[in-house]
Amino acid sequence: MEFSDITAFLPILLKGALITVQITIGALLLSTLLGLLLALMKLSPVRAFSITAGTFINVVRGLPIIVQLFYIYFVLPELGIQLSALQASIIGLGVAYSAYQAENFRAGIEAIEAGQIEAARSIGMKSKLIMRRVVLPQAIRIALPPYGNTAVMILKDSSLASTITVAEMTRAGQLIAASTFQNTTVYTLVALLYLCLSLPLIFGVNRLERYFGKSAKGGKS
Amino acid sequence: MININAIHKSFGDVEVLKGVSLTVAKGEVVCLIGPSGSGKSTVLRCINGLESYDQGSITINDRQVDVASKDINDLRTQVGMVFQRFNLFPHRTVVENVMEGPIFVKNEPREKAQVQAIALLEKVGLGDKVHAYPQQLSGGQQQRVAIARALAMQPEAILFDEPTSALDPELVGDVLTVMRDLANEGMTMVVVTHEMSFAKEVADRVCFLYGGQIVESGDAHTLLTQPSHERTQDFLRRVLNH
Repeated sequence: MEFSDITAFLPILLKGALITVQITIGALLLSTLLGLLLALMKLSPVRAFSITAGTFINVVRGLPIIVQLFYIYFVLPELGIQLSALQASIIGLGVAYSAYQAENFRAGIEAIEAGQIEAARSIGMKSKLIMRRVVLPQAIRIALPPYGNTAVMILKDSSLASTITVAEMTRAGQLIAASTFQNTTVYTLVALLYLCLSLPLIFGVNRLERYFGKSAKGGKS
Repeated sequence: MININAIHKSFGDVEVLKGVSLTVAKGEVVCLIGPSGSGKSTVLRCINGLESYDQGSITINDRQVDVASKDINDLRTQVGMVFQRFNLFPHRTVVENVMEGPIFVKNEPREKAQVQAIALLEKVGLGDKVHAYPQQLSGGQQQRVAIARALAMQPEAILFDEPTSALDPELVGDVLTVMRDLANEGMTMVVVTHEMSFAKEVADRVCFLYGGQIVESGDAHTLLTQPSHERTQDFLRRVLNH
């Protein structure tokens, strides 16, 4: 492992890392919005909503993410929907993880005691207001640890985008390794760079948990 | 003010209310007593529509209580409720708990709601806990916040569902003091309670429920000291001997 190799490879890998971050953030946002919608649909008293959401969640969870990516990237164009590889990877990961996010959110919402909703009703709050002011703020705190884990998994699974030609970090590493045969140097660098991204995320989530935990659990600090 | 006329209510196959009728006049304090499972909490929960009823009618100031109607939220602002388990919002401070209804239901300006909330918290003896979170308070303090939260809606009546049952014995007194003050100020109150001495001292009327019916009701002192019905005598003997 030579230092000159590292300085030569690092800029290329960092360019890939930037795309990795883009995919992660994009997919996280999409999965959050879609997941919240699915969770609310699944808990809805309207059966058509809950069945639709439940079916969607099961189908998405039952498919390998890589197959979903292939489907979006290779099959949708045949139906006339053209997406760039980057767009396809964000949508694919976002949709795939929305199913897990929906379950995170649903668990959070269902963990709220019935008494909370009754208390809100007793002061005349309507359902939507109760959701916004009473249920969701508490559910978010409960869903935060699993949400953080999901974010870390999306970051790691963004490497699957390499299979549909997105030049993110793993793909960048593969390309360098294939042309230089410096496997040890390249993949060690790739691994370290992933840790540089994931460890701060993990620590950040831990901090947020403690911050929210203070008001939710009422530590006397 | 509150008029309950022969309500029936079943949970599945179990009929928990078998024709309960009760009239509560403005400014009156009525205590509901009875063994657990007798239906007293269900009566209370029907009054503000947390529970629906199958037959009969309930009116508040001549307006029908109907869970399915759009009117129900407005009716609930007129009848406050205090729960056994307090049910304060854990993610909001004490003062925010009290301001929540005025700001988001009555659309009052925040400043006004805050002034009122702080005044109410001082009234229940918690002027120094305004910015604490509920979990930092004792059960008795939490229950007093819950009373302030109900009062903040300026209700015409307040329903109390076993307000002291979840409290350590030494914390019961402070809550009862606040309730006694409210009664003296003329608040209309319906109280489900096991505190017989409170009922005797504060209630205008006591109703004894058994098996989903009001078996006996009357002036608090008479009912609690000289009950005429056998079930009432039996119940009071057991409660008072503890």
